[in-house]
Amino acid sequence: MDLNIKRKSTKTAVTGSLVETYPHDLQMYKIPPTENLSLKEFETLALERVVLLRSLATATTLKGLRLNSEEWTDYILGDLRTQGLKYYVKLCEKSACGTTDADLQARRKDHIAHFILRLAYCRTEELRRWFIARELELFKMRFATMRGDAIDTFFRLNNLCYTDITDEERNEIMHQLRECTSYANAENTKFYKVKFYEVLDLVKARKVFLKGGYAYIPHKDFISVLSAQYRTHLKQSLAKACHHLGEVEQDERLVALLKGLHQSYSGNDYSSVKAVIPIETLDTLSVKSYPLCMRQLHEHLRTAHHMKHGGRLQYGLFLKGIGVTLEDSLRFWREEFTKIMDLDKFEKQYAYNVRYNYGKEGSKRNYTPFSCLKIINNTVGPGDCHGCPFRHCEPNNLKNRLIGYGFDHQAVHDIIDITKKGHYQIACSKYFDASHNVDLGLGINHPNQYFEESQKLIKGDIKMDQKKEKVVIKKEINDLDGIDFDEPLD
Amino acid sequence: MVGENNYNLLPDMLPIYYTRLFPQNILCRWLTCGSAPQPLSNRELSFTLADDIYLRYLTINNQKELQTLLQKKCPHKLDIGGVYNTKPSIGRHDAVVLSRELVFDIDLTDYDEIRTCCQEAKVCEKCWKFMVIACEIIDKALKEDFGFQNILWVFSGRRGIHCWVSDYDARTLDSPGRGAIADYLCLILGGEGQNKKVYLGSDNLHSSVRRSLNIIDKYFEELLQDQEFFSTADGLKKLLKIIPDEGLRSQVEKVLDKMNESSVQRWMSFINIYESYCRENTNAVRKIRYLIEEIKIQYCYPRLDVNVTKGFNHLLKSPFSIHPKTGKVSIVFKPKNAKSMKLDEIPTLYSLLDDSSPDNALHQTNMRTAVKNFQEVVFSLEKAEAMRRRNDPNMSVEF
Repeated sequence: MDLNIKRKSTKTAVTGSLVETYPHDLQMYKIPPTENLSLKEFETLALERVVLLRSLATATTLKGLRLNSEEWTDYILGDLRTQGLKYYVKLCEKSACGTTDADLQARRKDHIAHFILRLAYCRTEELRRWFIARELELFKMRFATMRGDAIDTFFRLNNLCYTDITDEERNEIMHQLRECTSYANAENTKFYKVKFYEVLDLVKARKVFLKGGYAYIPHKDFISVLSAQYRTHLKQSLAKACHHLGEVEQDERLVALLKGLHQSYSGNDYSSVKAVIPIETLDTLSVKSYPLCMRQLHEHLRTAHHMKHGGRLQYGLFLKGIGVTLEDSLRFWREEFTKIMDLDKFEKQYAYNVRYNYGKEGSKRNYTPFSCLKIINNTVGPGDCHGCPFRHCEPNNLKNRLIGYGFDHQAVHDIIDITKKGHYQIACSKYFDASHNVDLGLGINHPNQYFEESQKLIKGDIKMDQKKEKVVIKKEINDLDGIDFDEPLD
Repeated sequence: MVGENNYNLLPDMLPIYYTRLFPQNILCRWLTCGSAPQPLSNRELSFTLADDIYLRYLTINNQKELQTLLQKKCPHKLDIGGVYNTKPSIGRHDAVVLSRELVFDIDLTDYDEIRTCCQEAKVCEKCWKFMVIACEIIDKALKEDFGFQNILWVFSGRRGIHCWVSDYDARTLDSPGRGAIADYLCLILGGEGQNKKVYLGSDNLHSSVRRSLNIIDKYFEELLQDQEFFSTADGLKKLLKIIPDEGLRSQVEKVLDKMNESSVQRWMSFINIYESYCRENTNAVRKIRYLIEEIKIQYCYPRLDVNVTKGFNHLLKSPFSIHPKTGKVSIVFKPKNAKSMKLDEIPTLYSLLDDSSPDNALHQTNMRTAVKNFQEVVFSLEKAEAMRRRNDPNMSVEF
């Protein structure tokens, strides 16, 4: 793929026949566009695509809708309609291979906009991850809404030839196929055989039959193979785009726009701290201003005088983020740990870890505190006490803990109710309201944001009468930094 | 016989162990083969010296250099890392890990909430059975589901086992791929806030889960007798907390509380209560369809340290390294022999080097067997690697 700025060059536009260039609503974006484009259109297309991707992110992170569920799709389509992006609605609602002018124009815009955003989002690892995650969601959504004949055409156009397994082979493993795939009708489904690493998401969820390194996937799950390929393709393309960024940015008209796009989308990552928090205040703060995940870790540490690696990482980075200095942090962990082990052991086995968090050891990276998304998606194993309590605790245990903290029953009931529905971040926001006796309904996306909001409230930075206004603004910013941390594998 | 007093002997004994008993040659061949197509010198080794001084990014070009390095530094512990694109001991500015064996680490401390015989660093023949089950389940899954063939099983030196998969596909697997395999194999999820850690849903059981359950069934009764999971009030409470259905839970509590303390008997009557409850409450069945299976898994299924598997360049203790605390050798064993392995028959540094030790003869023999096991795996890996090169069109030019 070549990302030179051909669309700005003087080459003759190869508009040719749009039907030939864009035969299908869904594309894998293999060939970059080469036509001329006005700056105005360049900007509009870029911004519109950003709106589209943002809508996807909001559906998943803020609204807490399950990925690819019906409500999820409905929300996105509705949002696009209100934003006036009819051509994206058209592409997403029913992918097909129509040849009307409106179809072709929509595909052309989709194609160009995708390539513009590659340039805006290839700058950092974080941005790249966010972009890939969103584009993949979009791709899956569009594939899911595609009709049978359109799917066949799509396969043909993209040279995807996979042969299904022979009847003999199928009969031999019929029993297992029926067990491992969630479709009742295994007898009448076509099965394909691919290497297991082509369908990692199915392997991960134990939703596919594996034998000897091959995954046997039913026709319907084929999207997994495609999206894995698409992901790899995007990853490589973004790396290449980043490489060619210098050439693109010789045109200063583009620089401002491309950089602007990205800047408006990197929220606070809490890696630089202004205030200094003395560790003596942590006990009080843990009750007043900690989100539940951190309060739980803090209390665990105080009672058990020990914490497993995952917890040390999550809590340690949070502490760094709220303004505990390295020296204090070392002292804090040392004081607790040495209650059950000798100083020597702590210095050898755990002090490294603390310094590592502050970027003083190992690869010496200045690690940023974990966002809610990262915490929610973390694996929590036996003996671990980190993670998001709304996600990783059983409702009963959670309930007991909240009652133990002295919350009133109505509040506890509300929190548990929302937790059970799987809206962990909204539950956290309820917890915030309950523990501060307010009704703000903040969008919580980061434990450190929770902490800052709480401190502001306590110190009276947010005046009660104007709180509504402030919250709205804050919400918008937060929504962005939460999604930046999205994991590449969903 | 193993204790702190022997700790002081390490500096004297280790050099002798490294020259006389440590299988340097086989280890180098294993590492060379496992690093291909990169040279052996791109592999990171790490030493832990006396007083926990870590030396990272050590490299060797050949067996001779390994020998010299071992003599010079006399490491108390030897770890193996990933294979880089350059020699990691020189410049690591833009060094990236290109490949690495797929590894699994199972440690008995993760079983603390269920095992009743020992806690923390302690381990006995009774809880070793957890490792036997873990080894069998993981080994089967790696071979049958993922088609891996070159699998090395190593005793970790104290209370766990390690598994190294050296197949080319496994070595070059990226992080998401490793993560997916780890998640595929990991059935026990959730930390301290979660009593019930296994959810199998209510659809069909995946065939790999079914296979694991068959393996567990072979040992379950034995484990019940050994561990007496449900005989104490505490143990019973833990079981009750796993039962999600309140009606069933109170029935179980009533009956089990009053009866004989034997876990086997309590388990039997639990199954009876469960079955009749399911017959009577057909609408509750969906939620607890696999409750029996879920409990068995929670009490017996391997508890993997997934972070070790997911990490691409996680350091892991080398085979035949000595555990500095126990003095035990990290021997290589065959999964089918895990069952007959006795903890006190695992050779220790002290008994191997002391002719007068009563265990000497037995430990010598076991050490030889372990080296032979290692050899077998390395030979088959070398064969597989040669085959791969012959079939790889990119490589054929060079050979």
